[in-house]
Order: sequence, then structure tokens, then C-alpha cells
Amino acid sequence: MPRYIARQLALLLITLLLLTIFAFCLSYWFPGDPVTNSAGIFLDDPRYQDIAKARGFESNVFVQYWHYLQHLFRGDWGVSLLDADPVFEQLQLRFGATLEIAILAMLIAFVPGLSLGVIAALNFRKAADNIILGLSLSGYSIPVFWFAQIAILVVSVHWGALPIAGQINPLYAIQPITGSILIDIALSQPEQAGAAFRSALRHITLPVLVLAIMPTVLLTRLMRNSMLDVLDKNYIISGYAKGLSTPRVIWQHAIPNAMQNVVRELGSLLSLLITNTMIIEVIFSWPGLGNWLIRSIYERDFPVIQGGLLLIAALILSVHVLLNLFHAWRYPQVRKDLYAAA
Amino acid sequence: MNRTCSPKLHSLISGLQISAVLASALYFLAACSPARESIPETSTDIDGLMYCAEGNPETFNPQLVTSGTTLDITAAQLYDRLIEYNAEAQEFEPSLATDWHVANDGLSYRFQLRNDVEFHTTAWFTPSRTLNAHDVAFTFQRWLNPEHPFHAVSNRGFPFFHAAGLSDLIESVTAINSHEIEIRLRQQDSSFLANLASDFAIILSAEYGEQLLTAGTPELIDYQPIGTGPFQFAEFRKDVLVRYYRHPKYWRTLAASNQIVFRITQSDHKRMLMLLTQDCDISPFPPARDVSWLRQQPQIDLQDTISPNTGFWAFNTDRPPFDDPMVRQALAHGINRNAILSTVYFDHAVRADSILPNTSWAHHGTPSAYRYDPELARELLQEAGFPNGFTMQIWALPVQRAYNPNARLMAERIQADLARIGVQANIVSYEWSTFRRRLAAGEHDSVLIGWSADHADPDNFFRPLLSCAAKASGNNRAQWCDPLFDELLSAAIASNDPKVRKIYYEQAQEHLAQEVPLVPIAHSIRFQAARANIQGLVLEPYGGIQLRNAKRVHTVPAEQQNEEE
Repeated sequence: MPRYIARQLALLLITLLLLTIFAFCLSYWFPGDPVTNSAGIFLDDPRYQDIAKARGFESNVFVQYWHYLQHLFRGDWGVSLLDADPVFEQLQLRFGATLEIAILAMLIAFVPGLSLGVIAALNFRKAADNIILGLSLSGYSIPVFWFAQIAILVVSVHWGALPIAGQINPLYAIQPITGSILIDIALSQPEQAGAAFRSALRHITLPVLVLAIMPTVLLTRLMRNSMLDVLDKNYIISGYAKGLSTPRVIWQHAIPNAMQNVVRELGSLLSLLITNTMIIEVIFSWPGLGNWLIRSIYERDFPVIQGGLLLIAALILSVHVLLNLFHAWRYPQVRKDLYAAA
Repeated sequence: MNRTCSPKLHSLISGLQISAVLASALYFLAACSPARESIPETSTDIDGLMYCAEGNPETFNPQLVTSGTTLDITAAQLYDRLIEYNAEAQEFEPSLATDWHVANDGLSYRFQLRNDVEFHTTAWFTPSRTLNAHDVAFTFQRWLNPEHPFHAVSNRGFPFFHAAGLSDLIESVTAINSHEIEIRLRQQDSSFLANLASDFAIILSAEYGEQLLTAGTPELIDYQPIGTGPFQFAEFRKDVLVRYYRHPKYWRTLAASNQIVFRITQSDHKRMLMLLTQDCDISPFPPARDVSWLRQQPQIDLQDTISPNTGFWAFNTDRPPFDDPMVRQALAHGINRNAILSTVYFDHAVRADSILPNTSWAHHGTPSAYRYDPELARELLQEAGFPNGFTMQIWALPVQRAYNPNARLMAERIQADLARIGVQANIVSYEWSTFRRRLAAGEHDSVLIGWSADHADPDNFFRPLLSCAAKASGNNRAQWCDPLFDELLSAAIASNDPKVRKIYYEQAQEHLAQEVPLVPIAHSIRFQAARANIQGLVLEPYGGIQLRNAKRVHTVPAEQQNEEE
């Protein structure tokens, strides 16, 4: 296991390094001046010379890359070309908001996703299975923005039940600290904390539920297939042969083993989820990373694009590696396979 | 294998099914339960108004801009002016100045100031005194005097004052005593008081200026503003919101709402949805096609005003081929403005035949100059040396304004019209502040934009828009500088006799019809939608919005209450 951890971490480091090289090269590949593209300082700015020097642009590319890394670790990611906001600070705030809905959606998706998958597998080729499969297939094929529009139309406009924009009723003045509204309320302890919290919950409901649809249907399908595999295994039969009760076989043997395949696929689910989060953020005016990144792509705000890409790619990579490690730690079977291969 | 143990499985499955159904039911209940509280939460829990603004403010000082979005958010909320214009009575009214006196030669204006006007007290500034003549002098010197320590801190210039010629007009601004100020002019100017009553002529705090200079952070004067207005600045999160609180020592009746939040929402459809779902209380510029539908909604109050404005299409006359008047005439004849009126404005506008709105006494329309005639357009292009047309850009403003509710759609219509005379047009758009910056730098070929009246004087549609001074200050969208035109304007404002002025303005409009630096498209109605329980909201024909009397009343309409029970 230590060897495996070391290998995974080394892999992560190397990939992250390659990623920074790629991000660094973007300053040159984007049209325009590389200093402007990386620092967000225009040519006619009085600070331009100093910043070009600080970023090593008088020297060769390797020195520049070295300075780029230094700036990166110092948290100096340049400023936005549009409004001169420091990219790193903004990313922090917006990243919190994005993670908030992404994580909540993921957590919520587990409950119906896994249970529906199990039910479908246990009812293999029966009515329940067909209905669940049909639902998940349609849920999977309908794009998230359409769901969002329908949800807004029905739940908010028609029923008047839930708000459709922002993190909270803006009349509650909540100081953004982490960017995640629920945590920020807990941290800042405003006067009407209870009311503010309720308002935040009402604002977060619609985006999170719409966002949870895609992981739910994917988890259903994954869980169903995985359960079907496991239920055919010999140890299940031998479990029954030894006289174990059905719930015991399912809960203690089938489901834990079926989870093994599901955990392996969670990483790819995450990339899809992040993409969907960006779309949801734009629709629900959620002040997150995606909202900002989409605007910056539209406005060609290169320092922001660079920083945003780096952050999202690093997030997805890190989660992949963590999942791999968790997988290996949780399932000895996997570990054995790894060493056998190595 | 499944089949062998099906009896046993069956109970499990039903158990699982029940639990799954329960789980999902709980899950949806949890999601829905707060919904019941929806109406009380927004209407009783917390005092304040939500105004859905169509864009980010560029700054918090109206002296620096001409953008209506910024003016709406800042001018009447954070600041006061010396005098105000009452459109109904058609006269000037006292505000910070209680009284004013014009010398017989028309060159000297004396203003008496109120002595009970408090500035905002905030976390970053505590005033030690009330407003006095020193503040007024400070405010005027800031844009008049290039040597003033605050003149250049914003890197923006003062587009309205320069374009309207005030910088050259004012000779001196002197404090006579603590509450009297004298402004001396170099020549007579019949639009001077009107310009002082416009949203741009707000009064800043000299004491705050000194504090910032001592602290070495003069640029904060425009970003952490201090004024005398009914609200004081609290917070700005770009793309999200601007927050103001009531100014507790305001010299007039205190603002009716404790708090105002401007939610920044660029899309007009989104704003309308947010109004319907109570995410906004007030929403300016609803989509033109939904205006008649909104009018029928009982929970929405739709207001309109004939705010004199003109939407136009300006050519960058510095750039070939638009430096050739013949090309500009050809393009003017190439577009079908009547079709634009029905598709873009849904007929909530009249066709513009002059840059000056038809409500002005000096209006002189020249319909023939802008007639739709593609044949003539092609001939003119041929004559100008472009038998095969050319490629050009149309910049479409990214926000909705009264004069142009949907510039993108308009640009598409114009694109289609131009294709018929062989001109290929590409549509360009940027985020609002970027858009304005690039426009001021003259990077465009042509632009769809417009102008809303700041005051009732016709001069407001000429000098700030098309004079050489306007070009120098980056507010002349046509980059057009014509000495003859400037002379006509100067002659017009030098007189106080409307008959004489009218003759000059007619000549100026004729000249524009010849030169076509821009094609006027429409004079439109300004709409604003609000929830029906918002009171005290008035839409003035001139200048920005007034929110100090607006508040939400707590009575829920009877039918809604029944639904609740």
C-alpha cells in the first residue's frame, strides 16, 4: 500500500506539473501580450515594466516558468482584465460557492441513485426494473438546462414556491468569507441567522435538485449493473447455501461488493458534474466559478480563464487520485490486483 | 439464482421499495417544506427593496460617466445636486441650494446653500461638519481644474462636463462665504442651469477628499463614495449586487426603505422572471414583447414615461470608409427603420427623424434624409467607389436601455438589410464597461446606442453627443468633429430667445441630415415594472430613477391570503 500511495501521489504531482506548464504556455498561445495575458496588466499601465520584470519576462522561457510557479504558489494569479479584481481571491470565493452546490448535489444523488439501482437489479427485467431504467435513460438524455427551465417555470413561476436567483435573499447582508453561503452564515452569525439560513436553504434547493438529477440517474445505472454482476457471483450463492437470510446477503455481501465498481466510476461522474454545475450557475445566477469562467471566456479575460482552468483541472485530478487511493484502501482485492500487475 | 430465492427476496424488495419511496418522499418534502413560508419571508421578515439593475455600475460617481445604468444606481440615491428640475411644473427647484440669483449680464450665478445638510457617516468616514460652500467649490474644481489633486485619480475624465462644454464655459467657482457660492461664466449659456440640475452635477465632500489625500488613497473617492443623498453605500459585489442603507440624517424626509439592494441581472428575461418570483421588487426595461402581457398581471405594476430619448446608429467617421458622407448616406438609406420599430420596439416607440426627440420645442425632422431606399443606397455606394460593398462591424450595446430594448436584435435586422445592398456586417458586443471603454477609444466601425435626456434643454442632445468637445472627451460615438456644426450650437446657446435658438437648431439638424454622422432610429417609451405592493415609485422623464420614497407595503392581497389558509 505505501508503494501504491507514493506512486499515485507522484503521478498527481507530475500531472499537476504538466498542467502548470500547459497553463503557462497559454499566456503565449492566447492572442496578445504574454505579460498581459498572465498578469492582467495592460501595456499602457504604469506598473507594466515592474510586473514584467517580476515575472521574469526579461529572461528566457524557463526563468519565466519558474517565476510563474512562484507567483502561483504565492497566490498571485494576476488580475482580471475586465475589472482588475485579483484572480486568486475571486477564485477562492467563487470556488466555495461552486463546491457547495456540487457537493450537496452529489451527496443528495447517492440516496435515490443507489437505492433505485439496487431495486432495479433485484427486479431484473421486471416492471420495476423497466420503469427505473426508462426513467434513468430519459433523465440521462435530457440536458440539464432544460430541466432547470422547467423547474423554474413550474416550481417558481407557476407555484411561486422557490426563488430562482442568487444564494440568498440579498437583503440579508452576509459577508462572503468562504463563498459557500451556508458556511458563511454559520461563520458570520448575523442577527437574523435563522431567517437567513431558511432563505439560503430555499435558494439552494432548486439548483441542487436540478443538479442532482444527472448523478442520480448515472448512479442508478452504475449500481444496477454492478449489482447484477455481484448477484451472479459464487459467494452470493454460497451465502444462501449456508442459510443466510436474504437481507443479510444483500446488505452485507452484495451491496458492499457492488459499491466497489461504483466508487471507481465516481471520478468520471465528477467531471460531468462540474460541467453541469457551470451551466446551473449561469441559469440560477449562482455566484460561482462557472458563472465567472463562462463570462471570462465570452469576454476573453485571459488571466481568469487561465486560473479557472488550472483550478478545475487540479480539482478533478486530485479527486481522481483520492478516489483511487480510497478504492485501494477500502478493497483489498483491488490492492492485490495492483501488486500482481506491478 | 434470482428466481430460486424469489419468495424471500420479495419481502426484502418490498421493504427496500418502501424505504426508497419514503426516502424520496422525505427528500422532496424537505425540499418543499420551506416553500409554504415563501410569501411571508419576502414580505415581512426584512425591510428593504430589491431593484434588479441591468448592468454593473462602472463607478459610484456620476461625474465620471454618461451611462444611464450607473446614473440610475448612483446619482439620486447617494448624492444631491444644487438644484433640481421639476418636469411637471417645467421649472427649477431648490435642492442643496435654497435660492439662486443670476446677474443681469447672465455671466454670474450665486447660490445660497442649506445649512443643515449632513454627509454620510460610514465605517470609513465620519463627517465633522455639515455641507458648506467649500464642498461645492471642491466638487466643481475637481473636474474644472486639471491641476486639482482629484482630477485624474479615476483615469476616466469627466465626459458629460467636457462634452457639454462646461469646462470651457465656467471661468471660476468661488465661495463667497460659508454658505454662498458664485459661479462665473465666460459667456452666456442658456442651458447652464439645466446642466447643473442634471444627474452629473452632484456634490461631493471636501472633508472626505482631504482625509483620503492624507491617507494617500485618493482613488477611493469614487469607489467608497460619500455624499449627502438618501442612501449610503455599504457593499458592491461585481455581477452580484450593490447594497445601500438609509442615510439616518438625511436633510429631507428620510428614505422610506431601510435598505436598497441592486441585483445585477443583465438578461431582461431573467429580470422579468425574477420579478414574477419575487426575487426583485422593481425591474427596469422589461422585454418589449412582454409589455402588454405584464400590463394585465394584477401583481405587477407597469409604469411608463415618455422620457425624451433617441436610439441611433452612429458611424465612426474617423475610420474609412465611414469618413465619406456618401457612404454614410447610403447606409442610412439601406436600413428599414419602420420594420425595426415593430420587431424591436413592438411599436412602443416612434420613428426618429432627427437626433432631437419629437417632444422638444426645437425638433426639426428630416425624414427624407433617412428614408428606406435600397436602390438609392446602392447607387450612392457605387458613386462612393464601393460597387461591391464592403465588410463592417456593428457594435450592439449589451444592456437594455429605454432607447434600445434589444440592440442585438436590432443589429441582426440591420445586418439583414445591409446584406441587400451588398454590405456585409458583423455584430460585436462586449460586457457593458468593456464596451464603453472600447467605444470611447474609438475601436468601433459603427455602434447601436442612444441617449436619454438629462434635462429638458435641446442642447442636451447636441453638445454632449456630436460636438468636437464630445469627441475629445470620448463621448462622441461618431467621432465626428465639424466646426460648422459647433458654431451653430454655440450660436444657439449664446441666446436666451427661443425663436433665435430654434432657427440655429433647425440649421444644425439640417446639417446633420446632410452629413449623417449617425442615423436616428427611434424615440421610445421608458418602462419599469414593479410588484404591486411597492409604493412611492415614480418614473421621472429626465435623469435617473428615484428610490427614496419607494417602499414595500406589507398587506398581502386578499385572494393570496385565502390561498395561504
